[in-house]
Amino acid sequence: MSLPGTPEGNPAVRGVGIGLRARHYREFLESHPRTGWLEVHSENYFGDGGYDLHVLEHVRSRYPISLHGVALSLGSADGVREGHLAKLKRLVDRIEPALVSEHLCWATLGPRHFNDLLPLPYTREALDEVVSHVTRVQDTLRRRILIENVSSYLQFRASELSEFAFLAELAKRSGCGILLDVNNVFVNSVNHGFDPEQALLEIPGEAIGEIHLAGHAAAGELLIDDHGSRVAPQVWRLYEKACRRFGAVPTLIEWDTSIPPLDVLLDEAAMAARLSQAARA
Amino acid sequence: MRELAALQARFGAALDAPLSEADALEIFLGAPDQVKSRFSIYRGNTIANAAKAIGAAYPVVERIVGVEFFAGLAKAYRSRVPAIDGDLNEYGAFFAAFLADFPPATHVPYLADVARLEWLVHRARYAADPAPFDRARLAAVSPEHQLRLRPRLHPACHLLHSDHPIARIWEVHQDTFRGEFEVDFSRGPAHALVFRPRFRVEVAQITDAEAAFLASSLEGGTLETALAAAQARDASFDLGRLLIEWVGSSVIVDFKLDGE
Repeated sequence: MSLPGTPEGNPAVRGVGIGLRARHYREFLESHPRTGWLEVHSENYFGDGGYDLHVLEHVRSRYPISLHGVALSLGSADGVREGHLAKLKRLVDRIEPALVSEHLCWATLGPRHFNDLLPLPYTREALDEVVSHVTRVQDTLRRRILIENVSSYLQFRASELSEFAFLAELAKRSGCGILLDVNNVFVNSVNHGFDPEQALLEIPGEAIGEIHLAGHAAAGELLIDDHGSRVAPQVWRLYEKACRRFGAVPTLIEWDTSIPPLDVLLDEAAMAARLSQAARA
Repeated sequence: MRELAALQARFGAALDAPLSEADALEIFLGAPDQVKSRFSIYRGNTIANAAKAIGAAYPVVERIVGVEFFAGLAKAYRSRVPAIDGDLNEYGAFFAAFLADFPPATHVPYLADVARLEWLVHRARYAADPAPFDRARLAAVSPEHQLRLRPRLHPACHLLHSDHPIARIWEVHQDTFRGEFEVDFSRGPAHALVFRPRFRVEVAQITDAEAAFLASSLEGGTLETALAAAQARDASFDLGRLLIEWVGSSVIVDFKLDGE
C-alpha cells in the first residue's frame, strides 16, 4: 500500500495521534488500536538495536510516526553536539518519520547534560544562536523540523522578545515549523501572568505543523507541566480557540508520568478530534 | 563573554548549588524568594531524571537495598558523576565502581558485582540485532576446515567473573522468578554470561571451561584455540552439545571463515 507523505512510504500525520510509551507496546503489537498517528521520544531509540527499535519499526508500517526529541539542546550557547545529532540522523534515516521535532530550550553546558528542558532568555543574541543551530540540524537531517514552545517557571530579565514572538522569528528565519503545545501556553500564562489567547495571536498559523495537548498539575501558585493527567478544561477551551484560528492541525495527546491504560489516551484523543471538528464546522 | 553563554553558565552552576540572592535578583524577574523556590523545580527535575535513569538500569540493586536506600545511592552517585549525555540510557556506567568505593554500600559485599552485571544487561538491551544465523553457509564448510572457523558472538553477549554467585542473585530478583528464593554463597567464584536470544536479555551461570571458550571467541579465536582453552579447564568439555545450545540461544550468531 502506498500512501501520500514522505517518499519512503511513512504517510503524513493527520488528525489526532497519541504518544507511544513502552507500557502500551504490547497492545500496539497485538491489536493495532485505532489512532491517527504515533509520536515517540527520539532518544529512547538511540540504541544500535533491541526491543524498542523493533517495536518502532513494526508500528511504522501501520502508523505515521513522529520523532520528538527532548535532549538536542538547540538553545545552548555551546551549540548542538555532533554525537547527539549523528544519533538522531541515524534514527531518522532508519525510521523515515512523517515528522521530526524538538524543543525551544537548552540542556547542555560544557561537558554536562542537565536532562531537562531549561528556559531561554528571549534575546536577539539567543535568537541568532538558535536560528543557526536549527539550520544546522535541518541541513544535516535534510528536512524541516518543528520546534515546540516549552513550559517554564522563570523569566529572564534579559529577554527582549516574548516567547511567541521569538518562536515566530525563529520559524521565519530558519524555515522550521512550529509545534504549538497548547498546554504549555496555558501553563506559562498562569506562571508568568499573560493572556494565553493573546499569545495565540502572535503565532504565525502557516508555520504550525503540530499541536500538543497534555495534563498539568497545580503546585501552589504554579502550574507544573508533568504530562501526568487528563487535559485540563481550560486547556481544552484554549485548544478550541487554536483550532478556530489555525484550522486542522495534527494534534497529539502526550502522557509521560503515571501512564494510564491505553483507553484513557484514546478517549482524550477522541475528545480532541471532536473539538477540532466542531471548532471548524 | 557573550550574554547567553554567561547566563547559561550561571544557571548551570545554580543547578548544583542553591541559587544565590544576587543571581536570583540579577537574572530573573520576580521577588528573590519566589525565584529561588521556582528555580528549585529545575534542580529537582535534573536530579530526579538522573535518579530515574539509575533506577531503570539497576532494578536488582534497588530490590536488594530497598527503594529508600537506593534513592540515596542514586543521589550520591549523581552528585559525584553528573550526566553528560542527552540519552539517559547512557547514564550510570560508573555506578558499580561508585558502589565499590561508597562506604554505606559496602555492607552488601556482592552489590558492586551485581551492579556490574546489571550494566551489561542494560547495555545488552540496546545492542545491535545480528542477521539470522546462516546454516547453509556453515554446512558448506568442509570438515577439515571446521576447526579454523571463528565463532562470532551476539553483540549483546558479555562475560563477567565474580567472587559471588551473581547470576543466581540476579535470577532470584527477577519479576518473573517463581522458584525458591535461595542463593548458595558457599560455592565460590562464578562466571555469568549475559545474552539476548531475541529481545529479552538473559543471564546464566556458566562453567570455567565454557567461559574460557567464549572469552577466546570474543577475542576472535578459532574454534580450535577456544576448544583448547576450554579443555585445559575441563577435559570432558562437550563442544558439540554446547555449539547447538549456543547457536540456539543466539550466543553464537555466525562463524567467520579463515581469512575473513
